[in-house]
Amino acid sequence: MTNMILLVEDSEDDVFLFERAMMKARVSLPVYHARDGQEALDYLQAGGKFVDRKAFPLPSLIFLDLKIPLVHGFEVLRWVRSQPSFNHTPVVMLTASLEDKDRGRALQMGADEYLIKPPTQESLSRVFENGSVKIFPRQKGNALI
Amino acid sequence: MNSYFAAIIESSDDAIISKNLDGIIQSWNNGAQRIFGYTADEVIGKSITILIPEGLVNEEPAIIGRIRRGERIDHYETIRKRKDGALLNISLTVSPIKDESGKIIGASKIARDITGSKQAAEALRKAKEDLVKANEELEERVRIRTASLKEAVAQMEEFSYTVSHDLRGPVRAMHGYATAVLEDFSDRLDSRGREYLERIIRGSNRMDKLIHDVLIYSRLAQNQVELHRVSLNDVVREIIQQYPEMNDPHAQIIIDKPLAPVWAHESSLVQAISNLMNNAKKFVAPDVIPRIEIFTEQRGNNVRLWIKDNGIGIKPQYHSRLFGMFERVGQGNDYEGTGIGLAIVRKTVEKMGGTVGVESDGVNGSAFWIELPSSK
Repeated sequence: MTNMILLVEDSEDDVFLFERAMMKARVSLPVYHARDGQEALDYLQAGGKFVDRKAFPLPSLIFLDLKIPLVHGFEVLRWVRSQPSFNHTPVVMLTASLEDKDRGRALQMGADEYLIKPPTQESLSRVFENGSVKIFPRQKGNALI
Repeated sequence: MNSYFAAIIESSDDAIISKNLDGIIQSWNNGAQRIFGYTADEVIGKSITILIPEGLVNEEPAIIGRIRRGERIDHYETIRKRKDGALLNISLTVSPIKDESGKIIGASKIARDITGSKQAAEALRKAKEDLVKANEELEERVRIRTASLKEAVAQMEEFSYTVSHDLRGPVRAMHGYATAVLEDFSDRLDSRGREYLERIIRGSNRMDKLIHDVLIYSRLAQNQVELHRVSLNDVVREIIQQYPEMNDPHAQIIIDKPLAPVWAHESSLVQAISNLMNNAKKFVAPDVIPRIEIFTEQRGNNVRLWIKDNGIGIKPQYHSRLFGMFERVGQGNDYEGTGIGLAIVRKTVEKMGGTVGVESDGVNGSAFWIELPSSK
């Protein structure tokens, strides 16, 4: 699996803050930036302009905002978790929502982490270790099967 | 015997009148005078129709007709006219008068003034009708209010959601870019330039905290909380663990005896106590290491949790304003705060059926307290 990251985020400012935090956390994995929920789904399904898997490889990690245009973050999460091919892919919510019910719902729907914006070097350490994606319990469990 | 009956007739409250078959009044008692206003001298020999209002004059031939046939008229409700022209509601009983041979020669009329009871009945009916109407109106109003209240709550939730997502975005950007400039271009800025950027960063930090606190406050106002037995020992220990700045060497926290358990909603209580502990730590003079004493006091069926500090204190004249929204008392800009923290404390504690307060002379620190039902 190629080591790349899919970032689903509509705010350019938040993309900037994300990249800066990644830099500080010394993570240099390539990032594809989808600007709305539909683009994220297209990317994952290799639809439309994403048909070439070599140019648009499957991500090893998805950062997903909740409030994004076209398809809501929860819908993207639901779809991802319904696909056997993405069952192993860790999904990290990256949102401004401090609502406990959003956090609870995301984790219950299969998100692996719930980070509050803006991402920081410290909060990213819950996702990355020595520059690569941490192994989440979900992946461990599935690897045993 | 006759005089005996005459006395009864004279003293009756009802009007007792006799008339012949031509409708001419033959006798007239005191009751009749009282009800209709005419004296016996004025009416004896006159037609009974002087008592009948214009629209009802044809009642008389009908009554006479029935009397001639030997019929009795019982409790006939109609309207009659007083001497002064006022109309009365009357209940009439009319019976034939016969001579020794059994021939009908006239009629006796007993008239009772029922204007009062008629009015009372009418008033009662109207009152009942009004009550039913008022009830219907009230129900309708309650229905509308409930609907608009539900809508308001839904809007408030939507508003909170929007606030947390959209209002904080630009603040985050301000903070992020200012930090980036400070980090990346620091060497090209003089100390004034750097100072301005630091002010932008502090301003956006305050803005973010303000939005956060307003959100918490508005959510508090909406939510109902369930009360359980809560261990204050656990809650305080958890808060101390969560905030590293609550420990040595930043602060000294003294809990010398186990704290009594209370009836509360745990996460609400964590919110309230951590706000008070943060204040206790924050509002100290420079160079003073915060020292926070925490203890409980049994007061009847309640437990009062005291959080006592060695801070700058609050002058007594400010105590009443202290727990209000956006109130910051007298510290200028030396101490950061949104002015919502204590409003949150009061709201959370009141939601749990408790009370809050403070004791301070404005010099020797403050002692804040939260009082909640004991769960012993």
